[in-house]
Amino acid sequence: MESYWKSVLSAESSRAAYQSAVTARNQQLGAFLEFDPERGAAVSAEHCLEAVNRGQRAGDNPPDSALATVERLPFAVKDNIAVDTFSLTCGSRMLERFRSPYSATAVARLCAAGATVVGKTNMDEFGMGSATENSALAQTHNPFDRSRVAGGSSGGSAVAVAAGMVPFALGSDTGGSIRQPAAFCGVYGLKPTYGSVSRYGLVAYASSLEGIGVLASSVDLTEAVFQVMRGQDEMDHSSLATPAELVGASSVAQTGTRVGVLTGDLGLDDQVAAGYQRSIEVLQQLGYRFERVELPTLEYCVPAYYTIAAAEASANLARYNGVRYGLRPDYAENPEELVRAAREQGFGPEVKLRILLGTYVLRSGFQDQYYLRAQKIRTAIRNDLTRIFQSVDLLFMPVFPVQAFGHGAEGLSPFQQKLADRFTSTANLSGLPALALPMGLENGLPLGMQLMAPAFHEHRLFQVARVLEEELPPPVPPQYPPLWQSHTVPE
Amino acid sequence: MNIDELLLTAELAQLELTESESVALAEAVSQMVDYFARMQEVDVDGLPPTTHALLTENRLRPDTVRESTLADNLLESAPDVEDRFVVIPNVL
Repeated sequence: MESYWKSVLSAESSRAAYQSAVTARNQQLGAFLEFDPERGAAVSAEHCLEAVNRGQRAGDNPPDSALATVERLPFAVKDNIAVDTFSLTCGSRMLERFRSPYSATAVARLCAAGATVVGKTNMDEFGMGSATENSALAQTHNPFDRSRVAGGSSGGSAVAVAAGMVPFALGSDTGGSIRQPAAFCGVYGLKPTYGSVSRYGLVAYASSLEGIGVLASSVDLTEAVFQVMRGQDEMDHSSLATPAELVGASSVAQTGTRVGVLTGDLGLDDQVAAGYQRSIEVLQQLGYRFERVELPTLEYCVPAYYTIAAAEASANLARYNGVRYGLRPDYAENPEELVRAAREQGFGPEVKLRILLGTYVLRSGFQDQYYLRAQKIRTAIRNDLTRIFQSVDLLFMPVFPVQAFGHGAEGLSPFQQKLADRFTSTANLSGLPALALPMGLENGLPLGMQLMAPAFHEHRLFQVARVLEEELPPPVPPQYPPLWQSHTVPE
Repeated sequence: MNIDELLLTAELAQLELTESESVALAEAVSQMVDYFARMQEVDVDGLPPTTHALLTENRLRPDTVRESTLADNLLESAPDVEDRFVVIPNVL
């Protein structure tokens, strides 16, 4: 499989076969908004290396093994992460015709290592949603069952990896947007430590919560892509260098790792509850020690998360006014009307809801009650987790209370989807790294769990994930390209 | 949240809402705001607010001139341009 991916773009015949196979599959699944390997090949490694080396983007030097792993691999990028000359729609009518004038640091670092962007993936508008159903531009389906959603907001990236269209894809995670679709589609999904990967080139939604991460088909690849992307960046002043003593920390399995698990009624449906118990048993058989931990702030994560996310969204999305770029209405009497009409026509209902909510909680007189209180609760959540990580090395949790749900009215209401973010938003509020991992199939659908670690301790996530990968390899959906599983190049 | 409150908020957010949109959004916003009330149960006395999960101080950079080569690319994104000016409707 690896040798296939390494050579797929190099010869014209294999590139053409790859292109037509992905294009055909994409018509069924709707993973990509734009698929154009030729365009990606034109974003040259030299150009990206120059951008990385300009001094503006000095980062931690990735290990040679990580650079070698990503070299020559095709990859997909969520359509809210900038790639020079590609679309940057954010799944919105507002930016439907926008082309990015530059590449995100994370993308440039991968391209400098010799990886090639092949396309941009579908997503919930501006990252707001849990099913990729809030995209204004395309519908995305779960490759295990097309009548179900892919999860969101990085649904297109998850499907592109799960269906074997690319070995890895970039996504962004503000409240679970990488881990939840990864769990729904049976792939790995890493939300790194806040700030460890530069946000330069990530279209802003909720700046204090979000970050770029990776969805991939194996643990090795997830780790390598992360190692290549991470590093402090002068273009993002909230980015952070990994402490020197942790940069080269080994991700080889350790003995004696202590894993924390949540107890009590977690509000999981039967399949996920059974899967959580079974996963714990698998880990126990592998020799991991479990400790029951209490996370009393868990039930306040979602209100605190949505208060902060909506507040930041209302400020970040104020820039879309139809003047310098983005959708412009056909006619407006005056500049004020232009702005209102652009926003009326350009934004979908979920985006409007969050802008209104954010504007409301920031209104004079309400700030202490909502935004400030949410930020203080955020501190309480961080304190809870700091306490927990004094007695355990990792925390093992569900990703989402249900498996992939049906489209539209068959699924969860928008409000139910928000309530279900409680296990994922914890990592965003605290800034801690978390990895969603596939734990086999249940009723024919992927089941995902997540591991969370202290800040900059991603290597601990990979240690355990690697052991589990041998026991429970990622599930393969129907129509997974048979040729791509062997080492032959399709003709 | 009643419709008047919603329309005032919408005006602050520079959002124009149709009548049917207003009804649906008033309900959805109210549902979330009611849900936020749950935060009142938490004792936050003495807790400082978190603005950045891991960074504890502002990071500054030297105030130096740097060349940017993006201006022309960015102008290409403008919906309506005359020479190097972005065109908007008459202000007066």
